Amino acid sequence: MAVTVLIAVSWILIVLSILVLGAYAVRHYYFGYSRMRLKHPRETNELVGFVMPRVTVFIPMHNEEKVARDILRALVDCDYDWELLEVIPVNDRSSDGTRAIVDEFAGRYPFIKPYHRTEGVGGKPAALEEATELATGDIYLMFDADYVPGRAVLKMLTAPFVDPEIGAVIGRVVPHNIGDSLLSGLLSLERCAGYQSVQQARFNLGFTAQFGGTVGGVRAAALRAVGGWNPESLTEDTDLTFALLLSGWRTAYVNRAECYEEVPRDWAVRRRQLSRWVTGLTECLHNYWHDLVRARFLRREEKTDALFLLAMYLTAPIIVIGWVASLVLFFIPEAHAVPVLPVAMLIIGYLLFSNQATFLEIGVATLLDGTRLRALLMPLSLLNCFANTGAICNALRKFYWNRFWGSGGDGWYKTRRTRLGREGQAFSASAEATAVGAAQQSVKGIYYASNDGMGD
Amino acid sequence: MALLIFSVLFLAIFYLHFSLAHRAWIAIRGKQSSELDMRYVRMEDYFGQSFRRKLQHWLATLPEATNSTAGLRIYDHGRERIYVAPTAQYPGGRVEKAILVTEGAFACGPNCDFRNELMVKGDGDIGEGTALQAIAADGALQLGEAVTVRRWVDAAGKLTIGADTAIHSRATSRTAIEFLPGAYAQSLFAPEIVTEGRNDESIELSAGRRALVQIPHRAGQTARAQNGFDPAKLFSMGGGTYFYEGNLDVTASLHLRAPLVVRGHFSCGKESLLEADVKARGHITIGAASVVKGNLVADGNLLLKPDVYFQSLLHAGGEMRLSFGVRGLRERLPVAAHATRALTLESNVVINGKVSSAHRVIAISTPMAWLQSNKAKAWTQ
Repeated sequence: MAVTVLIAVSWILIVLSILVLGAYAVRHYYFGYSRMRLKHPRETNELVGFVMPRVTVFIPMHNEEKVARDILRALVDCDYDWELLEVIPVNDRSSDGTRAIVDEFAGRYPFIKPYHRTEGVGGKPAALEEATELATGDIYLMFDADYVPGRAVLKMLTAPFVDPEIGAVIGRVVPHNIGDSLLSGLLSLERCAGYQSVQQARFNLGFTAQFGGTVGGVRAAALRAVGGWNPESLTEDTDLTFALLLSGWRTAYVNRAECYEEVPRDWAVRRRQLSRWVTGLTECLHNYWHDLVRARFLRREEKTDALFLLAMYLTAPIIVIGWVASLVLFFIPEAHAVPVLPVAMLIIGYLLFSNQATFLEIGVATLLDGTRLRALLMPLSLLNCFANTGAICNALRKFYWNRFWGSGGDGWYKTRRTRLGREGQAFSASAEATAVGAAQQSVKGIYYASNDGMGD
Repeated sequence: MALLIFSVLFLAIFYLHFSLAHRAWIAIRGKQSSELDMRYVRMEDYFGQSFRRKLQHWLATLPEATNSTAGLRIYDHGRERIYVAPTAQYPGGRVEKAILVTEGAFACGPNCDFRNELMVKGDGDIGEGTALQAIAADGALQLGEAVTVRRWVDAAGKLTIGADTAIHSRATSRTAIEFLPGAYAQSLFAPEIVTEGRNDESIELSAGRRALVQIPHRAGQTARAQNGFDPAKLFSMGGGTYFYEGNLDVTASLHLRAPLVVRGHFSCGKESLLEADVKARGHITIGAASVVKGNLVADGNLLLKPDVYFQSLLHAGGEMRLSFGVRGLRERLPVAAHATRALTLESNVVINGKVSSAHRVIAISTPMAWLQSNKAKAWTQ
């Protein structure tokens, strides 16, 4: 009797996991196919430089002395009109040399207005919440301290705000330390698929892109309309995406607004980063699923996509459940009584169909990017897949345990910077040298090429 | 022994699955990504300026060929040949494969074919039916009728694009562009872009003075359904922005005072005043003689009826048409209009800035008879 129940439960779990993962696979195929056949992405690139609102750039910083100089140099060198620009480095209780670096830049460039935070709740959302009160821009842009924006990124990120429906915008993150470790190489593939393929496809299909909290921005009026940042959330960016969506605002994706980032090079850092994302996104799922389902003005496809996005980390335990159920059936002789061929065909069919979906997205993205050498790393993504599954399951276990017992979560964890002693020389060797020229061009607005500093 | 052989074979076959990945990893290890151009900035006249700089560099560094004369300097750049002359005048029907540089004026007769770029440091005059690769001029440049430019055109002085001329990339000028009927390009950018039949005398700005519909309605006033506007379909998104559920076809003059997102088509009557941005998920049609101060974004087509004056940015996911008498001008920055599909400019249109299309920007002549009837119709709507 017990064996029969076990077999029945295992079958139910396998079918359930196949259905859920199959649905996700269909979604991945759809995005990949849509991205490939796209002739004219939904974009505002032709309006870059013509949309020039007053902008405030926030750089949340906590012990960022290794990277602070790079991002400040890069922002000084941007081609945005300095009269319309305000940069607020949010120095959140740093104990290293971050404050000195920020103050040095503030002394040289009047549009850099540091906010030094010495007390209060830790974490990026809380720091942003306080700093936002000082901002004077119509658009708030955000960069993490380890990011290095290119010269045109600010103009590219402000262009989508020509559309009054756009409440937030997200640019593309490109890992620069791809060769630091195998993990960073594999994460570069993951990022590539996530932005070039998924974000662009979702935006083109009329779904809201996911605001990532860095290399992005939000309309000040929209932020106020949804009550500001959520300091309780570990992923204030995702929280904001859905708060905006429920109020009628969209998030735009700008593929050309690319910015280098540093991805984790070892698993301890990656696991913690993933744990924060899992906790934050799953928290958003619990906070918003009800409102999303009931939202009067969202189309059915938009609701479905939003729920798929918020529930994506739940697929990890579902995969594990499917594996365990398969093992149970494999080792129970009584379970072998079912017709083997149709079942085997079903499972093999599913495996062939489903397991390739995410690889298809990576393939599409690397094809569009022209990074063929990196695409060859794809089989090794299996390692990443197994490791991610374990880390996600562990994070979810902790999340639901804490939720059940009403105890606090892990809290904010800052991703450790490495930058391996290069001190950003690769990015900004000539940045300040051209800063004055850039500013002169910016005041005029770069519509016509000048005699120097040109690129296309 | 058998177990050992099996294990080795198994491991070898297993490794084969990852061998390419392993080799790729060896190639990547220790390297940094360099795929982004951190110095990139967007400039409308990039092609022309880039060509000028390259040419300047070549002429400064390349040795003159031995067959150069006082009147014609010749340089060899790889398989390309560069001719530098004080001035040049080509008779009709000539085919030229070299890159041409003239220190002064340049002119050519009809049906010539220039297979490489031209750099004209004076004024340029291109005969009808001529085909060009690309041309940069430091003076004024006149492209005759039915000229074909395979790539770009850039002029420091006034650029005249003759009737039925085709430019397959950007056309830019630092002074003005005159864009005659039947001509098309992918984008135009200049302080002033003008189509045929310019007439500034007919412009009267009276938009908003007699607005019958206010969105949002003024405090203290009761909004009621009228002239195609149903207040029950208007919702606040917060932040002073509103959305309207369904189509909004306002048949009277509209005064829009806050950003509006229309989840359907949007149209407004003549002499409307739009002081804020409008987004429509369908088409947008702006009534004649309206004043548009906010940006207009349509997922579908966008039509500005005659004599609309806009001081903002226009973006259409479909086609765009700027009718007779449309003016685009704002104080601090140039205006811009972009359509994913064709962007059509009728006669007497003046834009201070940029018009572009992922397909083509085309100028058409507005026949007077059609104009009269259409204008009469538009004004009586």
